[in-house]
Amino acid sequence: MDWTPAPRRSSAMRREQNLALVGAVVSGAVIATGLLLLLVARVNPEAGERLRGVALDIVTPVWSVVRAPFDGIGRALSWGGDYFAAVDRSRDLEQQLAAARAELNRAAADRLALAKLKRLQTVRDPGRRLIATARIVSATSGSVVRSAMIAAGRADGVVPGQPVIGADGLIGRVIEAGNHASRVLLLTDPASRIPVMVQRTGQAGLAVGSNRPALELRDRVGAEVPLRTGDRLVTSGDGGVFPPGIPVGTIVAGGVEPAAVRLAATPVGAAYVTIEAAWLPLPVEAAEPRLDAPVPIEAVRSGAKLPKASAPPATPLP
Amino acid sequence: MVRNAPPWRLMNAAERRRYWWGHWRLFVPAGVTLALLFLMTAPLLVPVPVFPQLGLLAIFVWAMFQPGLMPPWAAFLIGIIADLLFAQPIGVNATLFAAAAAFVRVFEARYGHHAHGFDWGVASAVVIVFEALTAQLMALAGQPTPLQPLAWQAVTSIIAYPLVVWLCAVVQRRAFGAGFVR
Repeated sequence: MDWTPAPRRSSAMRREQNLALVGAVVSGAVIATGLLLLLVARVNPEAGERLRGVALDIVTPVWSVVRAPFDGIGRALSWGGDYFAAVDRSRDLEQQLAAARAELNRAAADRLALAKLKRLQTVRDPGRRLIATARIVSATSGSVVRSAMIAAGRADGVVPGQPVIGADGLIGRVIEAGNHASRVLLLTDPASRIPVMVQRTGQAGLAVGSNRPALELRDRVGAEVPLRTGDRLVTSGDGGVFPPGIPVGTIVAGGVEPAAVRLAATPVGAAYVTIEAAWLPLPVEAAEPRLDAPVPIEAVRSGAKLPKASAPPATPLP
Repeated sequence: MVRNAPPWRLMNAAERRRYWWGHWRLFVPAGVTLALLFLMTAPLLVPVPVFPQLGLLAIFVWAMFQPGLMPPWAAFLIGIIADLLFAQPIGVNATLFAAAAAFVRVFEARYGHHAHGFDWGVASAVVIVFEALTAQLMALAGQPTPLQPLAWQAVTSIIAYPLVVWLCAVVQRRAFGAGFVR
C-alpha cells in the first residue's frame, strides 16, 4: 500500500478550477455551434428568414424616425443651393432641352415604326407593375454585405426578388422582407449580378458588384468592340427580374478591361424608391413529375390509387 | 447587484420588484454592445464601406472590463443578432465574437492588466485576425467576399478603438464604479 495520496486542494481552489473547466467547455461548445450554424447557412441559405424579417421590422422604424430631422436639414440646404445656382442651372438646362428636343423628334418617328413592326410581329410585351413606393431608411456600411433597408414589407406586397428602382436608375433587388420593412441588395454588393446592355453598341454583359463604389462590366458579348468613356449601360431584361431600359451606370474609362462602371443612382440620398413586380412572371410551381413507369399488374387489380398524371394504365395480361 | 436579499417569501411585491430591477447592471455590457451594433446600421453617408466594426471592439473592451458579464456565450448571442442586422449568414459574427471573448479571457488570465497602448496593440491584432477570418467564414458559408473592404474596415476599427474604450470606461465608471462583477 505505498500509493501516494492525491494532493489536497482547498475547496475554494477546487471550485475555481471546476468553474474554469465548465467555462472552457461552454466556450468550446458555443464556438462549435457557431461553425455548425455556418454549415447550415451554406446548405440552406434561407434558414432564419423569419428572424431576419423580425430584425428588420424592429430596426427600420427607429432609423426612419431618427433620420427625419437630418432629412429636413438636407432638404433646406439643397433649397438654398438651388436658389443660388438657379441662373446657371437654367441656362444649362435650356441648352440640354434644345438638344433633347431634336433627339425627341427623331425618337418619335422611331417609336411609330417600332409600334408598327411590333404589331406586324404580334410581339407580346410584359408590362411593368408597381408594387410600392417607399423610402430608403438606412443602409449597412459594413464591409461584407452592401444592403439598404426600405420602409415597405410583406404587408405592402413586397417579397424577395423584386427589383428596386430609384428616380435616376436601378438601386438593387429585395432579398429579405419583414412585415413593414425589407432589405435591398445594392448593386455594389459582391453577390449582385445585373444583366445589362451597352446602349451605344447593344452589347450584353453583366454588371458585377465588388463592394467598391464602382461596378465591373464582365462577360461582355463582342469584347473586340472597344467601349468609350461615358458609354451608358441600361438593364437588358435578361433573366426576367429587371425590366429592360433602366439606367445602371456609365463607363468610367474606355479601353480598360474589365471596364469600371459608375452607378447612375446611388442609395445615398435616394429618398424614395419604387419596388416593382418581377418583370416576367416567375414560374409559380414546378410541374408535377410525370410517372411513365409501367404500373404492376397487382397494383391495378387491387385498385391502388394511381398518380393523376400517369400514362394510361397498363393493360392486364390475358 | 443586490446581495444578501431576504428569502423570496419574506419580501412583499415592491421589494421583489426592487430585487429584480437591482440586476440591471448585469445587462449593461450586452446593452452597450447592442447599441453600438445598432449604430452600425446607421444611414450611410459615404459610398465606400468604412464603418468600423464597433461590435467587435465593444466585445473586446467589455471582456476586459467585466469578464463575468461578457462570457463567450453572451458574445455568441450578440453575434447572432449582428448576423441578422447585417444580412450575413447566421454564424459568421456569432463564431468570431465568441472566439474573441474567449481569447480575451484567456489572455487576461495569463497576462493581467497593462497599459492602454499595449491593449490597443492587442485590439489591433484581434481586429485584423477577425477581418481575415470573416473572409474565410463567409467563403465557408458560400458567400465569398473581396478582401479590400475588410482591410479598410480593419483600419477604421483600429482608429476607432480609443473612442470605444472611452465610451465603455464612462459607462463602467457610472454603473459599476471601479469594481468587477464576477
